[in-house]
Amino acid sequence: MIVGTQKPIEEIWEMVKDFKRVLVYGCNTCVAICHAGGGKEAEIIASMIRMKAIEEGREMDVNHAAIERHCEPEFFEPLMEDVKTYDLVLSTACGVGVNFLTQRIGAIPVYPGINTSFYGGVPQAGVFTELCGGCGNCILHLTGGICPIVRCSKSLLNGPCGGTNKGKCEVSDQVDCAWYLIVERMKELGKLDKLLEIQPPKNWATDTHGGPRRVVLEHIAEPEGKR
Amino acid sequence: MFSARRIQYVRTLLARLKIDPARLEMYNLSAAMGPKWAEICTQFTGKIRRLGPSPIGLALAKRKAKE
Repeated sequence: MIVGTQKPIEEIWEMVKDFKRVLVYGCNTCVAICHAGGGKEAEIIASMIRMKAIEEGREMDVNHAAIERHCEPEFFEPLMEDVKTYDLVLSTACGVGVNFLTQRIGAIPVYPGINTSFYGGVPQAGVFTELCGGCGNCILHLTGGICPIVRCSKSLLNGPCGGTNKGKCEVSDQVDCAWYLIVERMKELGKLDKLLEIQPPKNWATDTHGGPRRVVLEHIAEPEGKR
Repeated sequence: MFSARRIQYVRTLLARLKIDPARLEMYNLSAAMGPKWAEICTQFTGKIRRLGPSPIGLALAKRKAKE
């Protein structure tokens, strides 16, 4: 899932303070799971903005709403007419949601209420760890299901660097050495010898280095002219 | 203890809004601890009175006076 963290209220206030009618718009999928931008968090942020407005002596009408997903039109189209009555939408969806809404809302600004951080998992409640870099060219079958692109601090493809230390990374003893984990996992799978195969330099054109990415499923999408 | 951590979090939010976090407290009591509950309520009411009106209350009163 996409993991995000809430922006500090001070930063949010600087963004919203000059608008009269503000909608704090939550997304109840990924960012709700990480307690950053779901309906509950949107309500809390709206409440904080209202309190701040009262303290600062500003007249503002601040409301909150949330939908299940900000990345598909079906979910937010029914609310769009209402959303368009605001001067500003403070989206607490991930950056995808902010972009997606911006393309559809017309001349109303959409500002981010959270910092979109990474693709991660939830090993325990309240803890989120980065597990995938979305590089567009997955090699997890070669590394025992452990991603060296984001879990190795140096994104190394052919084993650990000299900084590996008792299973931890030289960057921090709180960070596992991805290559230590990979070796242990490959041992467990009985495929340690696979790691002797040298991996060539990775093709980063599929990552963001190749420009904005797009996937089109020809068997599902309307033909180009009809899109 | 999850509630206690959440209360602590709300206190940090209040502080960021320049509202004294001492205005929010959490107590653990059983339903059979009526006298203790009454004592806490009395103490907490006294504490809030000493702290005075909240900045929000003051700002709202100021706004109302202008209208």
